[in-house]
Amino acid sequence: MTLPLIFDIRHGSMDDGPGIRTTVFFKGCPLSCSWCHNPESQRMEAEIFWDAQSCVGCQACHAVCPGGASAVLPEVTLHREKCTACGACTEECPSNARSLIGKHYPVEELVRILLLDRGFYRATGGVTFSGGEPTLHVEYLSTVLQTLKKENISTALQTCGAFDLENFRRHLLPYLDLVYFDLKLCDTTSHLTYTGFGNELLLANFSALSREMGKRLVPRVPLVPGITATELNLTEIARLLRELGITTYQLLPFNPGGIEKRRLLGQPFSPEIPESFMDRDTERRLRELFRSTVR
Amino acid sequence: MEYTQLTDLRLSEFTLSNLPLLNELRTRTLAEKPRVCIERARYVTDSLKNTRNSGEPIQLRYARAVKGFLARKSPQFFDGNLLAGTTTSKPFGAPVYPELTGLTIWPELETISTRKKNPLIIDSADVNELNFEIFPFWLEENILEATRRRTGNPGNLKLFEKLVFFLAGKAGALSHTVPCYRVALERGVDYLIAEALRREHKIIAQGLLSKADKQQAIFYRSVRIALEGVRDYAANLSRGAAKLALAETDPVRKSNLEAMAEVCAQVPAGPARTFREAVNSLWILQVAIHAENINMAISPGRLDQILYPWYRADLDSGDLTVAEALELVGCLWLKLNDNTNLVPETAEELFGGAGTVPAVTVGGVDGQGEDAVNDLTYVILKVTELLQTRDPSVNARYHPEKNSRDYLARVAEVVATTKCVPAFYNDSAAIRTLVNQGVSSEHARDYAIIGCVELSASGRSYDASSSILLNLVAALELALFNGKRPVTGDLQIGPRTGDLESFTTFGEFLSAFHAQLTWLIGQAVQLNEEFGRTHQEKLPSPLLSALFEGPLESGKDLISGGALYNASGATHIGFADVVDSLSAIEQLVFTDGRFTLPQVVAALKDDFEGNEPLRLWLANKAPKYGTDHPVAVKNSTSLLAFLYETYQGYVNYRGGRYRPAFWTMTNHAGQGKLAGALPNGRKAHVSFASGITPVSQAAPDLTCCMRSVARINPLHIPGGEAFNLKMVPVDTADDLESLTDAVEAYFQAGGLHVQFNIMTYQTLVEAKAHPDRHPHLLVRVSGYSAYFRDLNDAMKDEIIARTAYDSRTGAALPLPAGYRDRLPANEPAEKMIVSGDMLNSALALPLAKFVDCITSEIVEEFLEVLLDLMKMVFFFDDDYRKNIEGFAGRYLFRSVDRSITISAVFAQGKLHVDEEEIPDPHVQVIFKDGKALMNFLLAENPDILGAMLRQEVTPEGNLNYLYKFAYMARHLQRMATGRVS
Repeated sequence: MTLPLIFDIRHGSMDDGPGIRTTVFFKGCPLSCSWCHNPESQRMEAEIFWDAQSCVGCQACHAVCPGGASAVLPEVTLHREKCTACGACTEECPSNARSLIGKHYPVEELVRILLLDRGFYRATGGVTFSGGEPTLHVEYLSTVLQTLKKENISTALQTCGAFDLENFRRHLLPYLDLVYFDLKLCDTTSHLTYTGFGNELLLANFSALSREMGKRLVPRVPLVPGITATELNLTEIARLLRELGITTYQLLPFNPGGIEKRRLLGQPFSPEIPESFMDRDTERRLRELFRSTVR
Repeated sequence: MEYTQLTDLRLSEFTLSNLPLLNELRTRTLAEKPRVCIERARYVTDSLKNTRNSGEPIQLRYARAVKGFLARKSPQFFDGNLLAGTTTSKPFGAPVYPELTGLTIWPELETISTRKKNPLIIDSADVNELNFEIFPFWLEENILEATRRRTGNPGNLKLFEKLVFFLAGKAGALSHTVPCYRVALERGVDYLIAEALRREHKIIAQGLLSKADKQQAIFYRSVRIALEGVRDYAANLSRGAAKLALAETDPVRKSNLEAMAEVCAQVPAGPARTFREAVNSLWILQVAIHAENINMAISPGRLDQILYPWYRADLDSGDLTVAEALELVGCLWLKLNDNTNLVPETAEELFGGAGTVPAVTVGGVDGQGEDAVNDLTYVILKVTELLQTRDPSVNARYHPEKNSRDYLARVAEVVATTKCVPAFYNDSAAIRTLVNQGVSSEHARDYAIIGCVELSASGRSYDASSSILLNLVAALELALFNGKRPVTGDLQIGPRTGDLESFTTFGEFLSAFHAQLTWLIGQAVQLNEEFGRTHQEKLPSPLLSALFEGPLESGKDLISGGALYNASGATHIGFADVVDSLSAIEQLVFTDGRFTLPQVVAALKDDFEGNEPLRLWLANKAPKYGTDHPVAVKNSTSLLAFLYETYQGYVNYRGGRYRPAFWTMTNHAGQGKLAGALPNGRKAHVSFASGITPVSQAAPDLTCCMRSVARINPLHIPGGEAFNLKMVPVDTADDLESLTDAVEAYFQAGGLHVQFNIMTYQTLVEAKAHPDRHPHLLVRVSGYSAYFRDLNDAMKDEIIARTAYDSRTGAALPLPAGYRDRLPANEPAEKMIVSGDMLNSALALPLAKFVDCITSEIVEEFLEVLLDLMKMVFFFDDDYRKNIEGFAGRYLFRSVDRSITISAVFAQGKLHVDEEEIPDPHVQVIFKDGKALMNFLLAENPDILGAMLRQEVTPEGNLNYLYKFAYMARHLQRMATGRVS
């Protein structure tokens, strides 16, 4: 089994499902949403966060870099075209200005970590798999899920929906208590424009699962100002939910955290993406619109 | 038995607007300014003066002093509170305990009303009475000086007085303890008096008495005398209320006064018959105990258990409604806020902002191990939620198997409302820990919290829980600097445990650290034993002994070991910083070989100046307590085990064992200010982490932090621990569920204690910037609550810089700007403000010189000028001369380089100054130069501690004489600058 890269394991999260949860973030996503607030999740390969502002200029990175990607003249910098993300510099960087994004965890090691907090899961909490897109790693994920189920741990998945339905049904669904399914844009062209991926497969998977899973399937809609958070788009998504008889959903307020992370990745960010949180009145108005349409 | 009959555990129908009495009393309480009350000092001193030559044993003299005070204590009724009795003669008063640390405010008597930090208003007549009548009696008699005299000023006492190694609590307090009120409530003080009399007669009836028999008889008599004082005080309250009732025209107040008159005629002398009588009886007893015990951490204990029988009976009979019960408990809460501590300015740095921490405990299991939560538990929680006052410190016990989830969720909800109280305790861990200390299961199950977080078999165990406050960082620095500490310079303090080059393995370094720690603990314990003996000689506790299980049965005062159980508590400052420092040394020096120990220590000496990468390695790349890193886990658990073994090896003067604890009040901020840089990357002068809490930002998320602390073996912390967490927001029902889940899981994992501040960095930063906008923002410090405004800046910064965990993501939130490198806020140096008015033409020249001295930088001749002026003013000014009438004091002032030697002898109303040494001075003051001495004596906000630590001024001998001298010098300064005439 090839081990996927995992870029974060967050303990004590209360935002990724019911109760207190541990959330595993997989690296790699078939979509490349311009607003993504975890842009380090998009590529399959390991990457380096490089925060020049925290650098104290000790040049330890330069001394250990095998590929000459860490330059120190005229100032400390990272030449990403030469960087293989081997992580040597991140080990030596005392200020954590360099950090390695993406690490392999053998199944047993991951499960051990996920069980550390089992006392905190209580009646409702558990483990959530997020990303990136966890379903890209069906075999690994399935093995982990099965082990957790044997330990009676509640499990949840956050997905963009771009998966092979049969595979999903056979290897993952039996071991999942909850699935959070992203619905971003109803218009196919827009979806392709902003996420680099069409939405036909996603919508088909969603419809199919909604019939099978009932309340265990929770759609989530990111509210990105000017992109997904338009009255037209939200009305369309809400109508879809109404047709499918779905009343439980989540609207996710826009998080501009992706902008800072793109800086750390050395990536440009789309000028369309706002730099601040959505104002509360707008958010309230859109929520009300959505709610009234679903009912 | 079903104790919970309420259908709405929240009691949601009640608010401050439909409990107008509580609303009004609360507003008054919060607006009240603290005032010094000298009533107790006056009457206790007066009585002891009068019996000085009576030939009676101290037990009886002291009992008479207690009775004398209680019988003469003025009955006061300041507001519409339903309970009679006040701790002091002021609405919000600070009593004076001259036998303990009362004399430390002597120098400040005339400035304490106007000082910047937490001023205490004092009447000028009271200043004079303290200065001329009361304090002089105690010059040689308070606990510190009596101990010094008896022991010949040993090294451990000098070490204590450097204040940066350990603090000896017994110099300033008798006992932090939980009395047993149950018997007095059920049967009355008269029953206890009769019981003491019966036992005394039984002994006397034996005829020929051994010395031990006589001791017992004296003890019983002392109990009786002291208790009579309680009865007298209640009778005075009853008469006072009746008299006021006659004159009162407002019908509500009139009937309340009549009711109080009736209540006080019944209790505490007789058994309480109603809930109101029970609450008032308990309050009068709580007031009375402060006749002999300083107002610090006398903790009423499990009030939901103690008062429940009366609550249930009255409610069932229809004589009491829930609303009335809320009012009575609320009145008790506000009464518990009617007093504060008398703290000198320097000590504000270490203890500033603390209340008097009377801890109340609710919930948990009963003596048989069954669910003890009852309706009164919820009444108390509601009152705590509504009033949000600093005291009492409310503690909620929770037994994971026996108590309901509904109860825990309700406690969590109160925490979410108040943002900080109650604190949570895990019954199964606490009970196990006490049983391991030899407490019976039944008694352990009846434990209550003392003061901050200390576990006590309530009313049965005399725990003296704050006997020692030991600075672990001191031991670490002594190991790093071969027996010295940067803050005390070149002095060889501890044993020489080896040069840095001599350590070739971590084990060797650890042995050096352990050797220093063992030595330091030995010093602290030996001194505590000496203080304990002084207490036995000078400060018996007949009243507290009567309100305890054990002394009446054994015929021994508490201080002589009369309680069922005995212990001494030693708490520790800097635990997390020391563990992280050890782990950094182990990992980066000895395992990885990345740095050498001399390299690290050289960087510490320079506070990492020019070596930020090394600091970052230590701070960011070393194992941290608060994570699952095996090195950190090993070093934290083994340090706890080491301390436990070391302390348990000592038996105290009452026959009990020493119990290590981990709570720090504000000492982690105060001691942090005085410590150098540490191998965990902490810069010099930054606050340490509080209590048992991991260093801020060490744990990446909430559950990791809680898991790490839960891993600790509670048996090794019999004294109790303070684990501080900050978490935001807790707004929604889901957030509340998560908070409840987190506490439940932490306890399942074995955690002993946890308390929360539910507030953001921004709230606290804003409150620091604009204290007036947030006068009553309540925060959890390290085992007690305080109004944020009252804390000193170092402590405010420490609370701001505690990691806040996002309750939604669980992640540690990055610290706000300015706190990321854990830099202390800049404190502008306080400058003396002096103006130059003239006073008296005959004094013109010495006065001019004096003013010149204190306004200019030319201060070499300061001392001569000061003494010259003193002499003159003694001659001219009758009032000032009263300072030395009947006073004999011998002072020797000497500069370090011996270029100046001046003696000042006060005798027969005169001051004699000479430039020669004198034999046997009461106090010797060694100073660096005139400026240092002047700042020490006269600066408006004197950095006395700093001056002593920097060895700019080193007093040796009886400090009370120095306090008196400082008072006289500062009075002159005020005369010279026109602030008094």
